[in-house]
Amino acid sequence: MRKSWLLPCLIAGLWLAAPAAEAAQDEGPLLAERCGSCHQTTSGNGLTRIDEQRKTPEAWDMTLVRMVQFHGVELSDDERARLVKHLADRQGLAPSETDGFRYILERQPGVIESPPDAELATLCARCHSYARIALQRRTEDEWRKLAHFHLGQFPTAEYQALGRDRNWWEIASEQAPGQLAELFPLKSEAWDRWQQRPAAALAGDWRFVGHHPGRGGYHGTMTLAATGDDRYDLKLQLTYDDGETASGQGAGILYTGYEWRGRSEVGSTTSLQVMALAEDGTTMTGRSFLADQDAVGGQLTMTRLDASPQILAVTPGYVRAGEGRKLAIQGVGLAGDVDLGPGVTVDNVLSADDQTIVVHVQAAADAALGGRSVKVGTIAADQALVVYDRIDRLSVEPPYTIARVGGAGGAVPPVAAQFEAIAWQNGADGAPGTADDLRIGALPARWSTDNFDATAVALKDAAHAGSMQAGGLFMPSGAGPNPARPFETNNAGNLKVLAAVDDAGREVTGEGQLIVTVQRWNDPPIR
Amino acid sequence: MRRITLACTALALAMTVAPALAKDYLLTGAKPDKLVLIDAKARKVEQVFTVPDAGTGIFTITPAPDGRTAYVILNQWESVAGIDLTTGQQVFRADLSSAGERVKATFAMDISPDGKELFVIESPVKLLPDQYQVQPARIAVFDTSAGIGAKPVRVLPAPRRTAVLMAAKDGSKLYALSWDIYVLDPKTGAELGRHPLRTWQRANFSAPDVLDVWPQWDATGIFSTPYYTARTDLDASNPDAFKTGLATLDLASGEFQTVDFESTSAIIFSSAINPARPTEAYGVYTTLSKIDRAKGSLLQRIELDHTYYTVNVASDGSELYVGGTMDDVGIYDTATFERLGEIAIPGGADQVLASLRLIQR
Repeated sequence: MRKSWLLPCLIAGLWLAAPAAEAAQDEGPLLAERCGSCHQTTSGNGLTRIDEQRKTPEAWDMTLVRMVQFHGVELSDDERARLVKHLADRQGLAPSETDGFRYILERQPGVIESPPDAELATLCARCHSYARIALQRRTEDEWRKLAHFHLGQFPTAEYQALGRDRNWWEIASEQAPGQLAELFPLKSEAWDRWQQRPAAALAGDWRFVGHHPGRGGYHGTMTLAATGDDRYDLKLQLTYDDGETASGQGAGILYTGYEWRGRSEVGSTTSLQVMALAEDGTTMTGRSFLADQDAVGGQLTMTRLDASPQILAVTPGYVRAGEGRKLAIQGVGLAGDVDLGPGVTVDNVLSADDQTIVVHVQAAADAALGGRSVKVGTIAADQALVVYDRIDRLSVEPPYTIARVGGAGGAVPPVAAQFEAIAWQNGADGAPGTADDLRIGALPARWSTDNFDATAVALKDAAHAGSMQAGGLFMPSGAGPNPARPFETNNAGNLKVLAAVDDAGREVTGEGQLIVTVQRWNDPPIR
Repeated sequence: MRRITLACTALALAMTVAPALAKDYLLTGAKPDKLVLIDAKARKVEQVFTVPDAGTGIFTITPAPDGRTAYVILNQWESVAGIDLTTGQQVFRADLSSAGERVKATFAMDISPDGKELFVIESPVKLLPDQYQVQPARIAVFDTSAGIGAKPVRVLPAPRRTAVLMAAKDGSKLYALSWDIYVLDPKTGAELGRHPLRTWQRANFSAPDVLDVWPQWDATGIFSTPYYTARTDLDASNPDAFKTGLATLDLASGEFQTVDFESTSAIIFSSAINPARPTEAYGVYTTLSKIDRAKGSLLQRIELDHTYYTVNVASDGSELYVGGTMDDVGIYDTATFERLGEIAIPGGADQVLASLRLIQR
């Protein structure tokens, strides 16, 4: 029973249902009962170790799962959910303490980190993300205990390739704890201030706009109904830019006063949302992704329907000079005329209400190229529309990412990769890749893969590693040794990801790189 | 490039040649609990022993000098078992962990030349109620006659990250492959000297990367390990910027040598030396390499049909055996690299990290 928590269910812990309660619950007694037999009571009536750290809901959930798996703690799903809430609310991070590292909570694929501290990055982030440490706060003594946990739990850490080029243990246990406590201390003004905030109340109607790579934009409305203790039921109506409409329902929890974790069912598709509530309580931003393929997803913004009027999205965000096209403006409180600036005129308003305005526009052949504001009445969205007259190049996003073989009778399913083709026009300097380049936006493309280099050619990676589907979704091949390959190697591969679009009779292409690699046997909520 | 003088080595080898009637047997492990004895020249599995309480598999295998017993690290690295290679009975067992302390025997183990003492590396961690406390690495010395429930007769300090332990042929020293090869007193653990790897002083060369967990010196008494180093004076795009070499330690004479033999073009996991032509070494992973360690050159390389982690050489030097990883032991002619045959592990069980040892009896 305990084992069943691990692979498929690990990330789902934060979305576990818990019984409705009227007010924030103090789970101190449950914490003491479940944890107090090993963690001693401190002079402040807390518990050793637990009191000396603050972290995200995901990180607290990982700790609880580890306690169950390795230390014999018995927790029901309900108790696990209640304890994550209790700990994340009382020992979480202030919103500003997650700045720059939310990608790891959002499970964004293909992120190449730029750790600010190279020494710590070498010590820690060769094996897991730097964000994983940057989203924790501990005392120096507690950081040291974490080092002891590392080698105690993973005794080969100092033997393996990522640790053996240095005295890993000596650095981790002697030097790093002080550095970490300075960078990521337990006590902070930001957290002290955040704890004084008024409670957030999310019940009501919300407007959302999002982007689903491979399919395009979507928008809709969502109603949240409070069920107690920062838990909400949700109902939603959504419309894709391709015209399809759908409805769904789900639930969500607000941790730490701003960390929204939502789960929605639309048809047979389950999506998860990892979002942060802005301090004014009216907008949430983050990422929505498929529950069973977290690489497939995109950015999502939600705004209270009664928030001050604003434009949330213009789709598509581009028009070609000399051509006409339909544009949709999504927002809240929309009222008034649409103004797209000189050279781009609205020649027909196809529909208009306070949330969506659909117009047909005409861009003059000599309309100024570049980004421009979109105005509706008195409100504006900067750089919301791009006028271009030529696609000079495509970029593939993400430019460098991974997929993983899986399935084929194994315990771990394959991990897909989702790509998008982004069209660009060279700026005034005529040169690609410079600061004045014009990002036009995502376009439907023809997708293919090829061998990345000579080694990939020799091993026929493109033939074995998987296949590219319409919409830029790469599905890797099955796991396990492949007798048809040299050395019976598995279906790993190093691929070029090729996108092509037609632009006025010319084919424009772009290229990214995909590493198809082996399964991730332990895929925690924070990688 | 360092010159290698082989006269002493050849003499030492001549003295270790076994009686003519003794046959070569291979020892390997297979998941989850099998110790497999193979008659090498007959190309057949002689016996399969089931080791009690093995956990997920067999790791390092250390045969006794008389070839009658084999000691294996198993039980997720937390136990050492001695198996009688005639009866299959477990005649020795040391469970290293105890209440409050988890101990992992991370790869390294060897036996004294007289067969009386077993040296096992230990990486211990104290398990307190609310925290772990990593303890210094150490070498537990066991009396091989201690039977079931053996406890260490001595505990020696050890360098962290020790991956191979090697007893000198005269029993006077214990070598520990860590970042360098440490020369230790087997009675006290005192450091007697050090053969430099990470601390080598080679102008324009980086410290080498070494991870060798394979005791494969049975036929020669010479430990060998591949190393990888980078030229710090060349751009990384230069084909000669990365070098593969072989470090060797003669367990009889104590002679330590390093020699670069190619600009890195293949990964080699482990290596062994030919007792009949001691300048020849063989390296294995997805390819099989023949290395001239006197001249520092690559003599031959062929691709293998799949990955093999281990290689060992017949006592007459005529053929070599590749094993580990998957479920067969491949046999190759050392002169031609012709594949002579293979021995399937019963049940198709993978050998994974198990040692491939050669004994004679």
